[in-house]
Amino acid sequence: MTSSALAGAGAGDGRDAEAATSVLRADDVAVHFGGVKAVDGVSIVLTPGRLFGILGPNGSGKSTLLAALTRLVPLTRGRLEFEGRRYDRVRPHTIAARGVARTFQTVRILPGRTVFDNVALGAESAGSGSKAERGRARERVRRAIERTGLSGKERHRPDELSYGHQRRVEIARAIASEPTLLLLDEPTAGMNRQERDDITGLLADLRAEGLTQLLIEHDVQMMVDACDHLFAMNFGALIAEGEPEAVVRHPAVQEAYLGTQGRAHA
Amino acid sequence: MAQHILNAVALGSVYLVFALGMALAWSTIGILNFAHGATFMFSAFTAHVITQQVALPMPAVVLIAVAAGALIATLTQVLAFGPIMRRATEHRAAELRILIGGIGVAAIPLAIAERVTASAPFGFRGSTYQAQVFEVFGLRMTTTVLVIVVAGIGIGVGVWRWLATSRQGLALRAIGVDSETASLMGVDRATLALGTMATSGALAGLAGALLTFQLGAIAPASGDQLLIKAFAIVVLGGLGSMGGVIVGAFVLAGAETFVLAMNQGTWVDAVSFGLIFLVLLLRPQGLFGRKEVRRT
Amino acid sequence: MIDWYFSHIVLIQSTFTTLLLALSVQVPLRAGVFSFAGVGCYGIGGYLAAIGMVHYGLSTATAILLAAVAGGAVAYALGLLIQRLTGLYLAMATVAFTLIISVLVVNGGDLTGGASGLFGALGMLDTGHLLAVVVVVVAALTFTELGPLGRRIEAVREDPELASAMGIDVARYRRATFAVSGMLGGLSGSMTVLLRSTVTPDDINFHLVVLALTIIIVGGSRSWIGALIGTVIFVWMPEVLAFVGEWEDVVYGVLVAAAAVYLPGGVTGAAVDGYRKYRRKRREAAASPPDAPPPQQAAAAVGGDS
Repeated sequence: MTSSALAGAGAGDGRDAEAATSVLRADDVAVHFGGVKAVDGVSIVLTPGRLFGILGPNGSGKSTLLAALTRLVPLTRGRLEFEGRRYDRVRPHTIAARGVARTFQTVRILPGRTVFDNVALGAESAGSGSKAERGRARERVRRAIERTGLSGKERHRPDELSYGHQRRVEIARAIASEPTLLLLDEPTAGMNRQERDDITGLLADLRAEGLTQLLIEHDVQMMVDACDHLFAMNFGALIAEGEPEAVVRHPAVQEAYLGTQGRAHA
Repeated sequence: MAQHILNAVALGSVYLVFALGMALAWSTIGILNFAHGATFMFSAFTAHVITQQVALPMPAVVLIAVAAGALIATLTQVLAFGPIMRRATEHRAAELRILIGGIGVAAIPLAIAERVTASAPFGFRGSTYQAQVFEVFGLRMTTTVLVIVVAGIGIGVGVWRWLATSRQGLALRAIGVDSETASLMGVDRATLALGTMATSGALAGLAGALLTFQLGAIAPASGDQLLIKAFAIVVLGGLGSMGGVIVGAFVLAGAETFVLAMNQGTWVDAVSFGLIFLVLLLRPQGLFGRKEVRRT
Repeated sequence: MIDWYFSHIVLIQSTFTTLLLALSVQVPLRAGVFSFAGVGCYGIGGYLAAIGMVHYGLSTATAILLAAVAGGAVAYALGLLIQRLTGLYLAMATVAFTLIISVLVVNGGDLTGGASGLFGALGMLDTGHLLAVVVVVVAALTFTELGPLGRRIEAVREDPELASAMGIDVARYRRATFAVSGMLGGLSGSMTVLLRSTVTPDDINFHLVVLALTIIIVGGSRSWIGALIGTVIFVWMPEVLAFVGEWEDVVYGVLVAAAAVYLPGGVTGAAVDGYRKYRRKRREAAASPPDAPPPQQAAAAVGGDS
């Protein structure tokens, strides 16, 4: 305990004060596919314990940005840092093992495996093979399943679950790894009102526990309610960021969402 | 020297007709037909069985082999590949199952032909065709070689241009590039697949008849060897490029003839195997292929 | 029983060696790596064991060990070389590798005996030795099929991108399957040759690739049990069904094609699916509507019926 606190203090009075206060830092990140500039020069900083959101119309580059942050697509240019360490050259499994977990826009769970097995996939990758570690992994799985409201469905297979429950498995798998940073790509897509409220409640709980999160969603009202800080994207670039209400009222965001009518209205 | 070149051109023409059939189905409807070699062999075998009963002229023998090839490939599509394509949910799984289904289908005609011939080579002895030998500029030519080269190059260039310029060719290529857009364009995938497979089989049958006339006889197992060679040709030329197949066929035939001419006969097979390996390693999209060969 | 054993000893022994060959293709396939390098290593192992015994007077155990280690090393190196290839391209590159081995041994001069191969490499092997090797291999593979490792391998196969997002080093798993596949191929090849005492270039052919694939596809590709079932079917079928003997290859062809169309998971896959459907029905019967009998009774009734 004391030694880690000391180490933290040592890093704190180092040269880069901001690196110590940011969980993730992306500088001038660009991802081009041939001539298509899916993400072009985006810079964001995620500070600990807050819930961040990315707003933007379809095709604005949100999911590509998430893929870039998790190293699943190569950067055309830019720099990535996680907890003060640069990671834009490492392979994707490394950054996942360091504590970045994510969910996918489409449900991606192993079709032949039970809910328990699928969630365990997230919990185990963090640990080694010792017996005590395996016990802790089981406990993480159990807790993730409980928190996502999947209790009683541990032995079910994906084809026996509703779409909403399949999405919950995705989220359970991500939080079972007890990450430092959680990236969520449209976690409530295809869910009904009640299920959405369950998930936003869960995200608020995780935030209260100090987990840093970055959320992509389409529902503007939900994003304003849930997030501490919003980024708005369009055509692969950041068009606004800051307090959620301010970002939503920002003329560029209004235009991106409502087109020229929005501008005329404003 | 010139004689070797002539041999290489004749061999390359047969490779071309065979490989073109394989490339046609693979690059358009996404079927790598592992029964293509067996189709080739069994078409020639069918013609062989018929010529044992009836003395037929060369064109009739060729026609029988072409029809037999088209029929075998159509049956393969209807009984194996079609059902797999309908049942498989994703492309990667379908690809693997089509490969395996093709291997299974290929075993059947091979087993039948090997049983009937006791694995001995068979030819068209019953045919009325007699090859005429003549000399052109000091080169020993036969009418067979002439027919093979004219048919090979004619069909090669014909298919290449047809695919590049005709309406049906465009529809086929559209499926090869993006099957979803193609179906929006009103292209009926199942019908097109059947037609493509029949054409591909007909080319295998033609190659079977031509090679048997050229060599006098072929062994039942020769289909498998040719299959690997055709794969080497398509990979070298680049999947999706028919012009690439033409170049690939003559490059492989030239290289093999060269190895033979150097009296290194036991290394001939290594040419195609080595070519597959080197091309996939150094330039997976081949000489003229589209860039998006699947790599991770 | 003893009589039966001695009259079938060749089939019994070839069941074990064929199982190892099939596993050499199944192990990579289970991780989504469509590689036939194991079959090439079968050839390498067979020739190394024969060369070791004929030219260098190695003991049986040393020869087999050498074959397994060399097979693993060669396949691992091959895996490094072609690690960017996937799917059909990987399959064909490894088929080409396998067939190149057969061309190499034809041209190997006195060392490999050229086209006629090597003779007199009779090892001191009995069924007990084979059984012991197979048990060790199967135990190790069982470990890779169950628990966390099994889940991770499945993730690497089903969705490599998801696997890396879960912190799994996909490339490392793929390379490891190459090494294991090469070792299994080397084991199978060396033991086959030392039982037969001869090896020729014709022993390494495309048909061997087809046989290994056939066994896995018909038996099932997800577990060694599938490979075992497939091996037993294809090694023993001609013996049990005499009429099949005549048209053996035709029957194989029909079985493989039918399995590709109708049983993508093979015999074991179909059995597992059937069992799950049965279990689900039971569970649905247990979670019954109000007018049905209480859960325990319903479950008991279904249980009693079966």
